[in-house]
Amino acid sequence: MSTTFLPCGTYHEYYAEDHGWWQTKFIKAKMALLFIVLFIGIPLVADEYWLSVCNTVGYTILGALGVQLLIGFCGQVTLGHAAFLAVGAYTSTLLILEFPWPQFLINAGLAYPISIFIAAIVAGIMSVLFGLPSARVKGFYLILTTMAAQFIIVDFLITQYVSQIGGRGQAFSLPPGTIKVGPWVIDSDLKVYFMMLVLVIISIIIMINLLRSRVGRAWVAIRDNDISAEVMGINVVKYKMLAFFVAGFIGGIAGAFWISNLAAISPEHFPWVWSLWLVGVILIGGVGSIHGTVFGSIFMVVVMEVLQLIIMQLLDMGFVWAEPLFMDFLFIKEAAFGLVICGFMIFEPNGLAYRWWQAKNYFNLWPFSY
Amino acid sequence: MELFLMTVTTGVMVGGIYALVALGWVLIYKCSGVLNLAMGELTLIGAYVSLSFYSMGVPFLLSLAISLVIGFILGILTERIFLDKLIGEPVLTVIMVTVGLSFFFKGCVELIWGTDTRVFTPAIFPLEPFRVGPLVIGQVYLWSFLAALLLLVIFVCFFKYTRWGLAMQATADDEMAALSVGVSARFVYAAAWAIAFMAAGVGGTLLGNINGLNISVAYLGLLVLPAVVLGGLNSVPGAIVGGIMIGLLQNFCGAYLDRFFPGGVKEIAPFVFMSVFLLFKPYGIWGWERIERV
Repeated sequence: MSTTFLPCGTYHEYYAEDHGWWQTKFIKAKMALLFIVLFIGIPLVADEYWLSVCNTVGYTILGALGVQLLIGFCGQVTLGHAAFLAVGAYTSTLLILEFPWPQFLINAGLAYPISIFIAAIVAGIMSVLFGLPSARVKGFYLILTTMAAQFIIVDFLITQYVSQIGGRGQAFSLPPGTIKVGPWVIDSDLKVYFMMLVLVIISIIIMINLLRSRVGRAWVAIRDNDISAEVMGINVVKYKMLAFFVAGFIGGIAGAFWISNLAAISPEHFPWVWSLWLVGVILIGGVGSIHGTVFGSIFMVVVMEVLQLIIMQLLDMGFVWAEPLFMDFLFIKEAAFGLVICGFMIFEPNGLAYRWWQAKNYFNLWPFSY
Repeated sequence: MELFLMTVTTGVMVGGIYALVALGWVLIYKCSGVLNLAMGELTLIGAYVSLSFYSMGVPFLLSLAISLVIGFILGILTERIFLDKLIGEPVLTVIMVTVGLSFFFKGCVELIWGTDTRVFTPAIFPLEPFRVGPLVIGQVYLWSFLAALLLLVIFVCFFKYTRWGLAMQATADDEMAALSVGVSARFVYAAAWAIAFMAAGVGGTLLGNINGLNISVAYLGLLVLPAVVLGGLNSVPGAIVGGIMIGLLQNFCGAYLDRFFPGGVKEIAPFVFMSVFLLFKPYGIWGWERIERV
């Protein structure tokens, strides 16, 4: 995390102050502005389409936070995170559909929030289960075991068994009105947007608070060198498991949140490609940075939307050759994503967060850049 | 007993194809240290190229040869454009570039050839099965196995007896030493990718002959990962044995476990087995054990 630039003559006297949230008036004003834009500006300005784009960004942030925690802060590469999103989504859906909720809970609109919480915990436990090999293996071998998590959970357990519960066939559809938070029935993009904002902000607060505590420092020590971390007296296995739990927890929140946006969930919503996509997002944003997670999510989602708009524009302008491009947009998206990842890795390995940091430093130090 | 024998023969024969693809993977890893996650897409590309030439009326062997040539060119291009710049970067960076490549290749394949299942028409191998005593073996399997075996022998001879192969072995063994005696490391990296592309292309063509060709053949290509882990990442004989073991494992699970766990046991068994195996023997059967120091 980058250091905060303090006004001249101001010094910290305690370590705790060093890690304070918003240390200067400028930052406070900046954050207030950000909140105003997020909570009032965007809902006022954006139409349905851009709100849904924002929701996708939020979902990507929630999903990528867990990956960022594992890869960026604990050094455990995971290529199967979509599985835990799927666990969260399915747990929450099954709880809503099958669990005999007491009537007063349903009336109070607590059934869905409680199911999100339980789903997050279940996803966390699953994540720990598949993180267990990390006690013994690391690096490439760990990548393979997390890949196995994806295939075992999504392609086997969920597709073959969980989907059979209740005899609904492949897709679980949620009747309208079942997704209710407090007095609000989540049925429009705007309501999903506000729920997304709250969840993203809570998750980011949890993450940042964890990272500036003993736990976060232990994770970073493990990432930098696990053997020396062990020598320093950190219980490596315990902290790795904790990292997997928190990552799965946030992933579970992401999955359980996303069902409010989907009319029906099926295993196809959580393919292996999505796990890779999440890893790509944090690599583009910047590994080891919360800012990076957010930047990467915004960048990837917006770039893809813009690409789609360009192709639609070409169609409108009467270019017939653009039609197959529009039909096969999914494939173009994949190819473009691949190229973007390769390009970032080769030319910009530090990601967008590094550029952000550079720009910030430039203006903080302006006009004397030393 | 018959079921058992059938399973063994089919397993070994499919495993032979996996072994061929796994050999390509191990080659890249040994020579340049790149852990390649795009292997599935390499099999796809080779398979689709030879299929399109074959359906244009080119004889099978010739279209296979053309796909080898195209694979060679693509391999060198891939190495030069993407991976050449990454020498000395962290492992995750390189892995993610191969992931990016796999996205890119997959998107391109889907754009060019679509997602429908295609079959080699007219069928290349005769349809009536081959009988040995009680055993019934599809000719596709038999010929694929023989072809894979032949190529394996060719590759192994290439490494043992040719100048290029020896240069590649030297680089894999100790890059510094190889550089100092005048081996061009860049040439070796390019050659490794070219050979991997070619091996994967042949593997893909053979796999496509068995069940028809669509995007899911990429998943079969992904099965090389369990195979190389079983054999040890940097061992050529390990790759061959691992490939055959994965083929056997898959077919045994399909034959015996499918009754108890209906659905896709066959698809995930290699990954389950690999996860468990890693817990006990992280360096595979013949892999080098790395000793870590602070």
